[in-house]
Amino acid sequence: MNSISPTLSRRSVLKASSGLVIAFSLFAPGEAAAALPPTPDGVPPDAAKLYAWLAVHPDDTATLFTGKVEVGTGAETALAQIAAEELDFPIDRMGVVMGTTSLTVNQGPTYGSMTIRYAGPQIRHAAAAGRQALLDLAAAHFKVKADRLVAKDGRISVQGDAHRAISYGRLVDGKRLDMTIGAAGKGFGMKVAPNARVKNPATYTVVGKSVMRKDIPAKITGAYTYIQDVKVPGMLHGRVVRPYGVRSTLISVDDGGLKDIPGFVRLVRRDNFLGVVAETEWGAIQAAEKLGSVLHAKGPAAGPVKWSDWQGLPAMDAIWHTVRETAGTDTTVAKTGSVDTALHGAAKVLKATYRTPFQMHASIGPSCAIAEVGKDRATFWSSTQMPHEARHDMAKLLGIPADRIELNWFEGSGAYGRNGFDHVNADAALMSQAVGKPVRVQWMRWDENGWEPKGPPIVQDLAGAVDAHGNVTAWRHHMWIPTTSDTELIAAELIGKPRIVGSVGRGSPAITYAYHFSNADVTSHGEGRVGLLTAWLRSPAQFETTFAMEAFIDELAAASGQDPLALRLKHLTDKRAVDVLQAAAKAYGWQARPPRGKPASGDGNAPLHGRGIAWANRDDVRVATIVDVTVDPTSGAIRVTRAVVAHDCGLVVNPDGLKNQIEGNVIQSISRTLHEEVTFDHSRVTSLDWIGYPILRFEEVPDRIDIVLVNNSPEYPSYGAGEPSTCPTAAVISNAVYDATGVRLRQTPFRPNRVKAAMT
Amino acid sequence: MAPFTRPMVARKLGYRYVLTGLKQELGMPQKIILNINGKDRTVEAEPDSMLLYALRDNLGLHGPKFGCGLSECGACTVILGGAAIHSCVTPLAAAKGQKITTLEGLAKDGKPNALQQAFIDEQAAQCGYCINGMIMTAQAFLDQHPKPDRDQIKQALNGNLCRCGTHMRIIRAVERVAGHGATQEAQ
Repeated sequence: MNSISPTLSRRSVLKASSGLVIAFSLFAPGEAAAALPPTPDGVPPDAAKLYAWLAVHPDDTATLFTGKVEVGTGAETALAQIAAEELDFPIDRMGVVMGTTSLTVNQGPTYGSMTIRYAGPQIRHAAAAGRQALLDLAAAHFKVKADRLVAKDGRISVQGDAHRAISYGRLVDGKRLDMTIGAAGKGFGMKVAPNARVKNPATYTVVGKSVMRKDIPAKITGAYTYIQDVKVPGMLHGRVVRPYGVRSTLISVDDGGLKDIPGFVRLVRRDNFLGVVAETEWGAIQAAEKLGSVLHAKGPAAGPVKWSDWQGLPAMDAIWHTVRETAGTDTTVAKTGSVDTALHGAAKVLKATYRTPFQMHASIGPSCAIAEVGKDRATFWSSTQMPHEARHDMAKLLGIPADRIELNWFEGSGAYGRNGFDHVNADAALMSQAVGKPVRVQWMRWDENGWEPKGPPIVQDLAGAVDAHGNVTAWRHHMWIPTTSDTELIAAELIGKPRIVGSVGRGSPAITYAYHFSNADVTSHGEGRVGLLTAWLRSPAQFETTFAMEAFIDELAAASGQDPLALRLKHLTDKRAVDVLQAAAKAYGWQARPPRGKPASGDGNAPLHGRGIAWANRDDVRVATIVDVTVDPTSGAIRVTRAVVAHDCGLVVNPDGLKNQIEGNVIQSISRTLHEEVTFDHSRVTSLDWIGYPILRFEEVPDRIDIVLVNNSPEYPSYGAGEPSTCPTAAVISNAVYDATGVRLRQTPFRPNRVKAAMT
Repeated sequence: MAPFTRPMVARKLGYRYVLTGLKQELGMPQKIILNINGKDRTVEAEPDSMLLYALRDNLGLHGPKFGCGLSECGACTVILGGAAIHSCVTPLAAAKGQKITTLEGLAKDGKPNALQQAFIDEQAAQCGYCINGMIMTAQAFLDQHPKPDRDQIKQALNGNLCRCGTHMRIIRAVERVAGHGATQEAQ
């Protein structure tokens, strides 16, 4: 292969050379992932060595190695841009190896919009050190001082002597980049090659360009290898049979009907963990179905498997009462003055309660993993967003030392947080351990919807006062938040060892307050698990808490007859917050006026139009959103027709990649706002398919999403953009619906029946 | 086991076939010839097993994806007899003898076809798991309706779910091929 096109780069070949370079291919369709060479142990490479980050191959391609993973956000391409920039290497000839634990450094999980922000500088420094190392090699090669050399596009030449030039590939000559570049610390905080001289951002030519994403062509042609596509020699297929109720216990199994299923291998039972293994995927599905793994299960003891009739979930319509009554720890987010005093003497006082339900990640592809567990070592193929952590988790689960566990990472279906991808590792591990062969487990749709960790229900009480001059004189925001960081594993719970991996965690104050109110009391009541397993779901708790904060300030604006943008600006000094609000207003063409709160005109049946504004600061990102909505008064259906997003995440690595992310955040959060609510009875989740858990469809997407990038400048470092633009959406739609109809929606989802009921 | 020769008794519910009777014969693996991407391919599988698994597991065609197994999301879409169908609920017995095209079969001379190229040009994917269904559904639609407007495109794709929120780009990609988009203007 002479060149690596973007199409092929993901499967770029790292050529073997005298055993010095790791050789493997990532992976032609149908090829076994076992083409990976056996590594002497599963430990990651030494972060202080250049080869841990970069390889340069004789065919003048290069590979970036990173412990971060691609989850559909474009991180692969953006990180490659950062590396190519510093290395002075053509981006289209740079492949990326992500996540696989024996080949990459642990740079922390890929979550929290922290990949570009933290892994970016690590890779930038490693690549800068790489460039210096290549210059040193070239200096020796040409017998000149390094400062007389120029590196460009993967070639080094002697200044003023065009005939003396050499490509990186020839210079490195197939050798491993054994140079020590130094590294200190761990994960997000790791400092790599601290002495490397990085470029002045003002000189960037690759960072800041809308480079075409490396992963997309193969995804479009079907050549991409997702975790669901990986095949391992001798692999069997497994399916889980989950308890009928969340905490039902297994009473008995009649497996008499299973042996007639072609290819059936065996039932795997450990305490309450139940799975089936077969030679074919269809056989495993048939076997699981026989044991009650179906969309509409009839009851805990209706089939050949008898589960206890557990009914311990709280009532769905009282879930916020349960959340409010659950013990937890209070954290103060903001406290100034005396809210009670200010409320007492105020001219205008408002109080409101906001409620948001359990929601799910609802990945299009159910979670999938392959495990091959032997007596004293194990290999995984997984789409986890935290491969290095997962390796240690599996070590604990299996009682095998971590250095004998290897995890090969492949991208899965977009997860937007922690869906089932880590849990299915454990399912596959237990089944492989039982049968002594590699087992591929993919959850069925109802397993995913039923058992993936959810985003938690949250209840929030707000109170505020406005004086005669339109100043907010009192602001109280109390929130009750169950955990968004529960990392216990379902399989471990089912085998009676819930504490062996992870912890339940506690809901944390998810919101940052930039508003200055003279009397403020913002308190978060953080709780453990309430009802269902919950973990991080895109902008965990911040989506919900921004909803309450930004809808309630709109309530104060409406109650005091003020323009909602002006009221916000009156209480903000944060320049970047002001910048995004003003940029959004300008792009939208915002005319100052108070929220109307009643239909502008109309015959009672005509669609009603309204606009809303909201903003959020999520970590160091600022984002402001304005939408137009139409509300159909006959059905109560809301449609967002236009969205304008002003987004400040500092220096942008790939503007089109960022816009793709912002569009995705906006559409997904419109979906969550309008449609999404996990339903459950006292035993189990009942929204087990796309009928029960509808998401936004094409006919409902906005006509336009306009995006303005603010403060995209070398003055600012690159912050994370995977999540923040989700945050304002529920508030902005609620505000726009109020503007259109006079109805204030304080509970998501804003489904038509709920809207219509509120309007009549 | 005698080969399955009787006419299939199937009831069509939308894309979904529900087989009645003949369970025993249909439930045992047989050699079945499928016409995939212009070639006859033999798989050994149960006639009542779904086409999706034969494509993915027996034939290594990973374009079509398992999303729901319920004909609700469209990730498994292939073109069968000119129509976009959900391979997750289409039994092999019903696919036998029909021309089947998968995502892999759209390429011309090893290059992405016009619609695929439009998806690449628009960068119309994030995780990309749903994209097979988007392309196959749009392709079957465009084959019948070469010049749809935006609303028709939205309606054609309305049964396909995307969770990443790539809808705007997907619509633009289809519009490029539908003669309404940037490609047309640029030419």
